[in-house]
Amino acid sequence: MQSQQIQQLFVRYKILALLIAVALIWLFFHIKTDAAFVTPGNLSNLFRQMAITGMLACGMVFVIIAGEIDLSIGSQLGLLGGVVAILTVNQGWGTWPAIGAVLVLGLLIGAVNGYIVTKMRVPSFIVGLGGMLAFRGIVLFITGSSTIAPAPDNLIAIGQGFVPPGVSVWIGGLIFLAMVALTARRRVRRAKLGLQQGALWIDVAKIVAIGAFIFGFVRMLNDANGIPIPVMILLGLLAVFTYVSTQTVFGRHIYAVGGNMEATRLSGVNVARVKLVVFAIMGLMCAFAGIITVARTGSGSPSAGTGGELDAISACFIGGTSMRGGSGTVYGALIGALVMASLDNGMQLMDVDNSWQMIIKGVILVLAVWVDVLSGSNRNG
Amino acid sequence: MSEYLFEMRNIVKEFSGVRALNGIDLAVRPGECVGLCGENGAGKSTLMKVLSGVYPYGTWEGEILFDGKPLRAASVRDSEAAGIVIIHQELMLVPQLSVAENIFLGNEIRKFGGVMDYDAMYAKADALLARLKLKDVNVAAPVMNYGGGYQQLFEIAKALAKNARLLILDEPSSSLTSSETDTLLAIIEDLKHDGVACVYISHKLEEVARVCDTVTVIRDGKHIVTKPMSEMTTHSIITAMVGRDIENLFPKVDHDIGDVIFEAKHVTCWDLANPNRKRVDDISFQLRRGEILGIAGLVGAGRTELVSAIFGAYPGRYEAELVLEGKPIKIKSPEQAIKAGLSLVPEDRKRQGIVPLLGVGDNITLATLSHYAHAGQIDRQAELQVVDAEIKRLRVKTASPELAIMGLSGGNQQKAVLTKMLLPGPKVLILDEPTRGVDVGSKYDIYKLMFELAAKGVAIIMVSSEMPEVLGVSDRVLVVGEGKLRGDFKNVGLTQEQVLAAAISHAAEGPAHAA
Repeated sequence: MQSQQIQQLFVRYKILALLIAVALIWLFFHIKTDAAFVTPGNLSNLFRQMAITGMLACGMVFVIIAGEIDLSIGSQLGLLGGVVAILTVNQGWGTWPAIGAVLVLGLLIGAVNGYIVTKMRVPSFIVGLGGMLAFRGIVLFITGSSTIAPAPDNLIAIGQGFVPPGVSVWIGGLIFLAMVALTARRRVRRAKLGLQQGALWIDVAKIVAIGAFIFGFVRMLNDANGIPIPVMILLGLLAVFTYVSTQTVFGRHIYAVGGNMEATRLSGVNVARVKLVVFAIMGLMCAFAGIITVARTGSGSPSAGTGGELDAISACFIGGTSMRGGSGTVYGALIGALVMASLDNGMQLMDVDNSWQMIIKGVILVLAVWVDVLSGSNRNG
Repeated sequence: MSEYLFEMRNIVKEFSGVRALNGIDLAVRPGECVGLCGENGAGKSTLMKVLSGVYPYGTWEGEILFDGKPLRAASVRDSEAAGIVIIHQELMLVPQLSVAENIFLGNEIRKFGGVMDYDAMYAKADALLARLKLKDVNVAAPVMNYGGGYQQLFEIAKALAKNARLLILDEPSSSLTSSETDTLLAIIEDLKHDGVACVYISHKLEEVARVCDTVTVIRDGKHIVTKPMSEMTTHSIITAMVGRDIENLFPKVDHDIGDVIFEAKHVTCWDLANPNRKRVDDISFQLRRGEILGIAGLVGAGRTELVSAIFGAYPGRYEAELVLEGKPIKIKSPEQAIKAGLSLVPEDRKRQGIVPLLGVGDNITLATLSHYAHAGQIDRQAELQVVDAEIKRLRVKTASPELAIMGLSGGNQQKAVLTKMLLPGPKVLILDEPTRGVDVGSKYDIYKLMFELAAKGVAIIMVSSEMPEVLGVSDRVLVVGEGKLRGDFKNVGLTQEQVLAAAISHAAEGPAHAA
């Protein structure tokens, strides 16, 4: 009975199991690297490494929940990064206009992908495969296959800079207060409408856990210069995407379309529009990731983002997104990205050979999804 | 040696503390057909899974005797080896493979080195089909060339190829026309003469009465009664299934019929695969406020195509002129149809009705989500309030509105889908096979709701293959045959024979080859 309850807890709060997995991975590397892994400096580095995959995973998790896939995002990232570099370095655009233009361009590229999938009804796997080649080809063409550098300083600052520690403390505090206020408001409204109320201690425990997490996170990174700007952007995206997926009509429609497209269509939902917007958002995320990539490295490389689609898709699946669509969470995908980044970072610290890094990451991906399948089948048996 | 071929004694099966089966007995003699009746959720499927080895020996209590010997199947393979074969409600055929390949799937006749012996398989398949009195079947042709009636019989041939001694048929007639059902029942009679025993699971009690020698009724996981059919009537079976006396299956409420509210003119649909073939050919009709219009006809006559074209959901090319409340309306998608005041509850609940992974509540509000949202943000509390009220009003049995809808029984899923399409407040409600695969109790609730809606002035179109339902509920009956309107009857003293005669007036009936 006890073990069954614990199992149910994990099924309900998959995030717990994932966080425990992350903790175990960190503990392992921490011991293996003689306490060099869980240090403010290294974690700051790790989160910064994770930011780009995380941005792609945010968009990808919507695509997969909607029952589609996009294999072209690595090349899209490369193309959009390349355009930022060309605009700022070669064309002399200001950093902000260039960023604005690339964000719009990303949205457009995504929308075109979505149009081909929904209106022209080419399977998204094929559209992605074609895009993967074509976009990479365009990058090579416009950059002349050479790296474009140096990026302007204020662009580099976005990739390599930090949020001032004092500001982070304020933001953390505000988020915590907002959580408390929202929870309290929900309880009051539920009581007023006579709806079923969750147990008080669960809400309190949730708030305490979130508070402790925010405090620990900010404190840790402030010990090493502060929160990296890309990480702050990723956290912002996490908030926006979680809000969209859980609180909006559009978010609910993404789950419904992926769960049963025909039933959703017959319920009067414009399923083609939902999917098109999801692809457009994916393109936008590629633009974010492309800009940050250029800002981090200070240059636009024609090979940037190669293999990025695989990291993002792996992150989604490790984070519990269903292969067949219809279920998944944004925070799960980001924890999946954290798992991948932790493995990369830890093995680099341990000086593991590159070949072994690839083997281990591949095995972990399959293993993680297998565990997910097991817990899913237990629910039905 | 007992007189029974097969016996289940005191079967108990628990799911995490909940008793799904609580001491069930079931016994079948050689050459006997036992009808197994019970509402959805009574435990029939669970019982069948125990019987067929889906739940291996040891995960349930009680004992199973086959041929007087205990049967302890660890998997479906074991029970099939013993001679127990289940034919599921959803046919398990691979459409692209040939008839013979399907009949011997997993059981292929091989030559040396694992090569399939097609000559032997074709010859044996021909022999098996001859036993089922099926001629003119090309066993080398793909299964998808044949209609549902044939496919059902291929399943039986597949079972016979495995030397089945106990055949379990789960709702075998749910997608058959009445003449195909007749053929099926005749074949079961023949098999009984050959000593094959059957368990016949069906909601269609007339069929149970025709083919079964004994009836076993279960309710809430408990064994209620087992009696020879000669001592039972359909009425007494229903009473045993429901546990209360349902006096009238159709709780008719008087409702006034008003002016014409909706008109469909010249509805024509072309076949998806063959653009020269019309699935619906120039059908026009009118519908009045508070009227329940039944649409009868054979399976494949074009009824579903007709209503999906009206709702803007027909996937192929179609034409339709629609008039609602005197004004012509243009409908190109379900989205526009719902906005205009039309709702459709589709025929295939699993494929078209529910989003299985979403919660019951999320399913219920899927068509009206924007009503509970401000600037795209859902007001969860407002949504939940509506969901709670609807679940209570329609008596949807669910532990919580957040529970995934796939965990509910068919009847409760159907109620949720119905609510979903009622929440937009339709002026015209289209129901396509609203009670297919639904238990007697939920059927009663659904009919009651239809009469209540009609009394409030909603116009209802109901497509149904169940003749008693058409005659028991409708104010007026349209009969569709081969895509054309074959009859328009006021339902006063209308008989099944009249409707059937209209449906087949120009068409030779029988299992038809699909195009």
